[in-house]
Amino acid sequence: MSDLAKRCIAELAGTALLVYFGAGAAAITLMIARGTDTGTPFNIGIGALGGLGDWFAIGMAFAIVIAAVIYSMGRVSGAHINPAVTVALFATKRFPAGDAGAYIVAQLVGGAIGSLLFAASAGMEAVMVGGLGATAPFPGIGYGQAILAEAIGTFVLMLVIMGIAVDKKAPQGFAGLIIGLTVGGVITTTGNIAGASLNTARTFGPYLVDSLLGGPDLWVYFPIYIIGPIIGAVIAAFFYDYLAGEGSATA
Amino acid sequence: MKCYVCVKEGRSTDAVAVCIVCGMGLCKDHAIREELDLWEGGYPFPAKKVKAKIPRILCPECYQALKGK
Repeated sequence: MSDLAKRCIAELAGTALLVYFGAGAAAITLMIARGTDTGTPFNIGIGALGGLGDWFAIGMAFAIVIAAVIYSMGRVSGAHINPAVTVALFATKRFPAGDAGAYIVAQLVGGAIGSLLFAASAGMEAVMVGGLGATAPFPGIGYGQAILAEAIGTFVLMLVIMGIAVDKKAPQGFAGLIIGLTVGGVITTTGNIAGASLNTARTFGPYLVDSLLGGPDLWVYFPIYIIGPIIGAVIAAFFYDYLAGEGSATA
Repeated sequence: MKCYVCVKEGRSTDAVAVCIVCGMGLCKDHAIREELDLWEGGYPFPAKKVKAKIPRILCPECYQALKGK
């Protein structure tokens, strides 16, 4: 088996774990909150049990699985597990085009497998009530606002990846922990705006499996999770290069 | 400098190397040369083994300890 094939399997497995545990935590929260009086249309169920604490719990589920995947797969494939990260590294000439295409396909397939496994584990209520943790703009949030929130969230994520992992002067060994916690923090704050996907594959998996199993049809929102994360990640990568590149104080 | 191991055995042999761990002088017979793999990359890039290796000289005692024997 070629080196690229093995790396793609690692990306597939890593993204599947991310979607199973991260998006799965959102689905479980909705299932637990089912029938609870949410009090406001802006609250669709996540927040009905513990307010922002619900989002914090979901954020921590993402944080822990992201750290686990980075520490376990980071040396194998680089553990991007996110097409926006792969595109940003490609855009700044750090990652070859052929590998980037293969990685993105693997991440999308991994996202779908993660969702399928979650549906198989939790049952049809996870599809019908939890939507498998699919992301969508919350009531009152416009398309443009959702793209902006996704772009800003992914900007923070990619900026941290650049500073803690891509930059060779960064302290070693902290990447998984800090990047996981960054995603957890972004989800806590912006989860109730557009779901805080920050990752096209994380949204693609639940969307596809929801469609296959008769869950909610949210494809109209899919461009939000392509445009927002990719714009945010690419701007962050170039922004970091501008700030920390040749001639800067830290170069 | 003389080989520490040979001196302990009652012989006097010129040292040609020094153990990188304990610093004892070693003759050609008692110096153990190891080559360590060198890796580059790692998150968010795949780690790759580079062709070049890092040589190091060890005495028999440190070699046994480092190998866990």
